[in-house]
Amino acid sequence: MLLAQIFAVAIFLVMFSLIITERFPKQYTTLVCGALTLLLVFVVGFGVKLGDWSHAALAVKETLNVHTIFKLGFWYTAAGEVESSGIDWGTIIFLSGMMIMVEGMAHAGFFRWLCLRLAKAVHYKVIPIFIVFMIMSAVLSMFIDSITVILFLAAVTVELSMLLKFSPVPMILAEIFCANLGGSSTMCGDPPNIIIGSKLGYSFMDFLTNTGLIAGISLVIVVIYFYFVSRKELSMTSGEVDSSKFPVPESAIKDKASFTVSCIIFACAVVLLVTHANTHLSVATIGLGIAVITLLTSVKHIPELLKKVDYQTLLFFIGLFIVVGGLEQTEILKLIAGFIEKVSGGNAYLMIAIIIWVSAFASAFIDNIPFAATMVPVIRSLAATSGVSLSTMAWALSMGTDIGGSGTPIGASANVVGTSVAAKAGHPVGWGKYCKVSAPATVIVLAISTAVIFIRYL
Amino acid sequence: MKQLIISIGREYGSGGHEIGRKLAAKLGLEFYDRNLLDEIAHIKNSDAELLKKYDEVPKKRFFSRTVRGYSNSPEENVAELQFALLKQKAADDDSFVIVGRCTDEIFKGFANYVSIFITADEEEKVKRVVECRKKTEKDARKTIERHDKTRRAYHDHFCKSKWGLASSYDLCINSSVLGIDGTVDFLAEYVQKFRNDNN
Repeated sequence: MLLAQIFAVAIFLVMFSLIITERFPKQYTTLVCGALTLLLVFVVGFGVKLGDWSHAALAVKETLNVHTIFKLGFWYTAAGEVESSGIDWGTIIFLSGMMIMVEGMAHAGFFRWLCLRLAKAVHYKVIPIFIVFMIMSAVLSMFIDSITVILFLAAVTVELSMLLKFSPVPMILAEIFCANLGGSSTMCGDPPNIIIGSKLGYSFMDFLTNTGLIAGISLVIVVIYFYFVSRKELSMTSGEVDSSKFPVPESAIKDKASFTVSCIIFACAVVLLVTHANTHLSVATIGLGIAVITLLTSVKHIPELLKKVDYQTLLFFIGLFIVVGGLEQTEILKLIAGFIEKVSGGNAYLMIAIIIWVSAFASAFIDNIPFAATMVPVIRSLAATSGVSLSTMAWALSMGTDIGGSGTPIGASANVVGTSVAAKAGHPVGWGKYCKVSAPATVIVLAISTAVIFIRYL
Repeated sequence: MKQLIISIGREYGSGGHEIGRKLAAKLGLEFYDRNLLDEIAHIKNSDAELLKKYDEVPKKRFFSRTVRGYSNSPEENVAELQFALLKQKAADDDSFVIVGRCTDEIFKGFANYVSIFITADEEEKVKRVVECRKKTEKDARKTIERHDKTRRAYHDHFCKSKWGLASSYDLCINSSVLGIDGTVDFLAEYVQKFRNDNN
């Protein structure tokens, strides 16, 4: 076992450092490391070194996890539970489906139309736009990946900033933060939540009534915080505003029929996600169904929609799950769980605080997706030995990873995309500028999360 | 008159910037360096000083991430803004002299384009930095080393060719041999001959 453990840890550390340094495209990094895990950890470590070929075969089978796709329980949860170690195909299929749906919506002009519609509704006044966009960012990110939300929102913010002569940076930073906050409130809002939800069997409503509540309370505080931090900068306009150049929301709609259809599909996706605990449809079924409907209703654009799917991210996930599966099969994650338990001395408060704040700190500097994927088996093992409720740990992990990522420009994908859009518009955002505004907000929300979890669950 | 773009790469202290400016004046061409950022700031309604903070510096590897082709690195984005503006100017048939900014790579294969790299003797560079920047000799050497290291890292991050390597340029010249003005005259003649041959 020792050799397999050394291989598993070494591969994991190499993978993480390569992801951070971006030496190679991240999907190649995780896929190659995944292949090395199968070969070195399972075949060499279990098979050749220990002569335990049945263990090796079982570890490969459980990590690749393909057999679960053919079980009814994978698609219809009432038919029984399926194993959740190794590659989480439910997450992969759900993400693919949502990507296709979102591409369909973007193609129809939905996001741009929504942004412009709201800007018009508040008569193109800077501060009201600022508040409305923050709330919209949070709400949209509950159902749609935050990268897409920020891409469109930041682009419209830049466009409006040119027309209304204000700096788009404070608005984009607030939108980024709210996108990450909104993403933390549901199961499908942020990849760490999809991983936590599907691996631990929590539903959309489970998240909404737990992390959603924390995010809701935090959103109110955060909007007030950003208002006071940014109002001075947003009030400084330069030059005359030409109201004749204000964009018409309807100009965003490229095709009325496909716009209507994409709105209906989105509404169906929301309804299906909110009710999936009652309908027993798994997120994989919802994702696949939404994708099929989107493609069937835009037959003309199928190649275009399929081409725009972010395959790199999906492959990145697959490789990542295999590497984390290697850590799981070699029981390294149990050792980490044991270490956390030892450090906290079995004190539930300390354990939860460690999970939230360590997750947050780690997520501020490294990609929170591999971190969450690694921590899920850790908290599962921790819950089994410490007696602290697994769900409490899951909400702590969710808030820690989702919100911690807001603290730095590289902590979450939305931050990277948002600051990039701002920079491309001539407003580069360095670490100093970003952290000065967003790090205090991150600490505020983490403090709120810690307090709510302590009071409500412990 | 046919379009002409002259790109000048330079070692710190070699006088490359001054040579570029004088060459542009002599040939009646626009001269671009950091002033490109003033133009970008004007177009984008942003702060030129902020853009200049990230001008011609390599991205900080451990402080940057790329997601779906979007990078958070201000250095990388400011560089891309300049590349885009330069390509636009080239597409608009503008003629100009441009100092630095990876233009030896951007305009590679462009018909009416000459890339030049300017170096100088170490002692000449030190002397120049001491005079122009009011530094001690020791500080001047350190400054030269630091700037050249930064320029190399910046250039080599965006380009396939190597900064300061003869094969990356049409012409490499040591400004210590002819002096600043002598080098300008020589380059003007070289460019004129290139123009005549191309016409």
